[in-house]
Amino acid sequence: MTAAAQPPRRRTELGLVLLVGLVTVGSLTLASLGKVGEPPTGLLGFAGVMVALLVTAHLAVRRLAPNADPIILPVALMLNGLGYTMITRLDSDLAALQATWTAVGVAAFAGTLLLVRRARDLERYRYSFLALGLVLLLLPLLPGLGRNINGARIWIRLGPIGFQPGELAKIVLAIFFASYLVERRELLGDRIRVGFLRLPRPRLRVLLPLLAAWGVSIVVMVAERDLGSSLLFFGLFVGLLWLATGQPAYLLGGAALFALAASFAYRMFDHVQTRVEVWLDPWSTAQGKGYQIVQSMFAFGSGGVTGSGLALGSPQRIPAAATDFIFAAIGEEIGLLGTTAVLVGFLLVIGSGLRIALRTDHPFEKLLAAGLTLVLGLQTFIIVGGVTRVVPLTGITLPFVSYGGSSLVANYILIALLLRISDQRDRPHPRGG
Amino acid sequence: MDVQIRRMGIALMVLFGLLFAQLNNLQLLQAGRLSNDPRNTRAIVIDFSRERGRILAADGTVLADSVPTDDELKRLRRYPEGPLYSPVLGYFSFNFGSDGVEREFSAELAGRKVTINNLDDLLSATPRTNDVTLTIQPAVQKAAAAALGNRRGAVVALDPRSGAVLAMVSFPTFDPNTLAAHDLKAVQRAWAGYQADPAKPMLPRPYRERYSPGSTFKVVTASAAIGTRPDLAAKSYPPTKALDLKGTSRDLPNFGGSTCGGTLPDLLRVSCNTGFGQLGLDLGGQALRDEALSFGWDERPPLDLPAPAASGFPGISELRTQPQVATSAIGQLDVTASPLQMALVSSAVANGGTIVQPHVLSRVTDMQGQVVRTAETKAWKQPMTAEDASRLKDLMVGVVQQGTAGRAAVPGVSVAAKTGTAQTTGDKAHAWITAFAPAAEPTVAVAVVVESQPGVTEATGGTIAAPIAQAVLKAALG
Repeated sequence: MTAAAQPPRRRTELGLVLLVGLVTVGSLTLASLGKVGEPPTGLLGFAGVMVALLVTAHLAVRRLAPNADPIILPVALMLNGLGYTMITRLDSDLAALQATWTAVGVAAFAGTLLLVRRARDLERYRYSFLALGLVLLLLPLLPGLGRNINGARIWIRLGPIGFQPGELAKIVLAIFFASYLVERRELLGDRIRVGFLRLPRPRLRVLLPLLAAWGVSIVVMVAERDLGSSLLFFGLFVGLLWLATGQPAYLLGGAALFALAASFAYRMFDHVQTRVEVWLDPWSTAQGKGYQIVQSMFAFGSGGVTGSGLALGSPQRIPAAATDFIFAAIGEEIGLLGTTAVLVGFLLVIGSGLRIALRTDHPFEKLLAAGLTLVLGLQTFIIVGGVTRVVPLTGITLPFVSYGGSSLVANYILIALLLRISDQRDRPHPRGG
Repeated sequence: MDVQIRRMGIALMVLFGLLFAQLNNLQLLQAGRLSNDPRNTRAIVIDFSRERGRILAADGTVLADSVPTDDELKRLRRYPEGPLYSPVLGYFSFNFGSDGVEREFSAELAGRKVTINNLDDLLSATPRTNDVTLTIQPAVQKAAAAALGNRRGAVVALDPRSGAVLAMVSFPTFDPNTLAAHDLKAVQRAWAGYQADPAKPMLPRPYRERYSPGSTFKVVTASAAIGTRPDLAAKSYPPTKALDLKGTSRDLPNFGGSTCGGTLPDLLRVSCNTGFGQLGLDLGGQALRDEALSFGWDERPPLDLPAPAASGFPGISELRTQPQVATSAIGQLDVTASPLQMALVSSAVANGGTIVQPHVLSRVTDMQGQVVRTAETKAWKQPMTAEDASRLKDLMVGVVQQGTAGRAAVPGVSVAAKTGTAQTTGDKAHAWITAFAPAAEPTVAVAVVVESQPGVTEATGGTIAAPIAQAVLKAALG
């Protein structure tokens, strides 16, 4: 019986989830000891609420996706817990908000599993998703609704609640593109011979939506001044196109378009030039434009291998330490060991995501799983690479770790979809024949 | 699609590989450079908010301590004696880092250098700070500061037998309390004021400033003669007003146009420029340079304070002409010396020809009062034999008894000394003296420099610097 294979996966998950609870309570206690020299007040109550939240997420999977992958959820919760600890240590007001958003995120996680019983059903609503995605993406540009924060117009504000709709847009658009491309991949995969080269047959009507997507990401970059998100969108579109068709020409074409857009942006916008300049040489403007990235370098260097200890370093000197630069804060306080652990955590989720994509036999689900994994991996690389000066900094959140409600909710939905796909693959279902 | 998915996995692995490589680069390979970068003030924040041990004088006087405060920096560093000890203590500032003992012994004071013997040490919550006791003797420090008064200059006194520094005074100086304050704007103003002051109050003159040593350097020239050329040490130089030098239209005159000459004891007693100029020419540039280097010139003294200045002696390529050699032999031209170096010259003569490493640290004690570290007595240089040192000592006693350093004499004690007047610009000169006492069994060596005094005569060092040395010697000899 396949049913006998169910409990071990969920038992593994439960064990890991409880371990996450233990580690998070431990790290919160250490951070509090480091900050004020005594354990956090109301620790027991807080631990109770947290364990309830963790177990809720686990029970949602147990009930709604019993055969799903057992690794992704615990790792995501662990990253969430570590991020929460760092935020607590940096800014207790933000921590309270992040705790609330975590609860909302877990609810969204369970809600997604509840609503989406079969991932392939999403295919049917592809154009609704396209419309929704575009609306979400462009929402911040609406006067009266959109808000400029730190020069980027990626926020909307409804009453007291601020939200970055772009975070959700990336998932919604990934669904649209996966379904759109799966249907047309035969057409897009056609090749023609040009001399000794084999190139994709140009079909303008099919490619039009992709060019439109590219255009949208340019609009986002220009109008909302959000380099990180536009980079992420663009990488997602090109990646999906290539995944669906296997045509390297799309990668090359994408790279060419990217180069075009990048050089255009570099010439047109001061803030893009500044980002590149401080990437190449932050030291000559260490007290000015390069301050943030230099402080980030100092944080990593001062942390060394083992770190200063939680709440014993000075990561608050890095502007945006709780959001874009939370990885540097982790680097300073728990050192190379901590940063390596965080990256390994992301690699575990990515590995699980790819395994899910490989195992499922439904083309749309395959492409969606690969696309969602790509979003997660790319986003992690863009921001970690940015704060460690591997690539120019483009501010986006580190999934699950950074402070940010929209990001947290969106990423919980993202892993819910991955778990949903993995559950369908592994759930015994009647097959033809 | 599976092929692409696998390739995408590889691509993501490669990207993450880049991140791992960079993290190891930043947190392992470059960690030291990044955490010690002067623009990275993290270490000082940590030091600033944690407990910090006291700095004590040799007699137990508290020179620096920390008290808890209510603000976010948690602790305030105090210097109960104000500016008196700042040339040694340095400063400890949130904005501007640290210097002096506060910098050199920061790890001990902050308790970061702790040996962990058992699990209890590792888990113990109380920070283990250490107290640092210096060799500085308040009586000598006060006497030196009072004697120097408000004239720009420096005084160093040390024990030639152990290298223990007894006093280090610099004027003008600064009040370290103004830089340790938590009102960061006020600290900024104080710092800017000190930095803008042309009198350089932040400069610890005794060990980080170099002056032309003038005639005090003649001790080194005399040592070269005694040690390497007995014939020259016994030679009588004919009295003259000025030394005729080849290769220049200018002669080397005696101060004030006086006439002098004779054998080495006579030349040293009256500080005869023409005699020493000729002696330098007889010795030659190379021998002079070798002698200076054997006393520690061109090398940073191994003092346990940050960045002690190396005294400078011209390279052999700058000792080719007669004027270059003759003026170098009397401590002018490009010869420079820190007050510490001139005290070490005396200390070599006083200590049988051996210079002991100078140090301000006496001992480090932990919170239980146990000594965790003591200063060691180590030889640094041996510029002369005990026998030659004894001969030179007699010559220097003569300088006090019948020569230019008469005002350094302490009643009932035999003092040895050499004065100097180093012409700077126009009619201004640095007044110098280097001295030690008691001549029979020296326990204190001293160097004094008073900057830019009016009147360029050989007597300037004797009239201005010698009384300061006398006050310091008196205080040190109790």
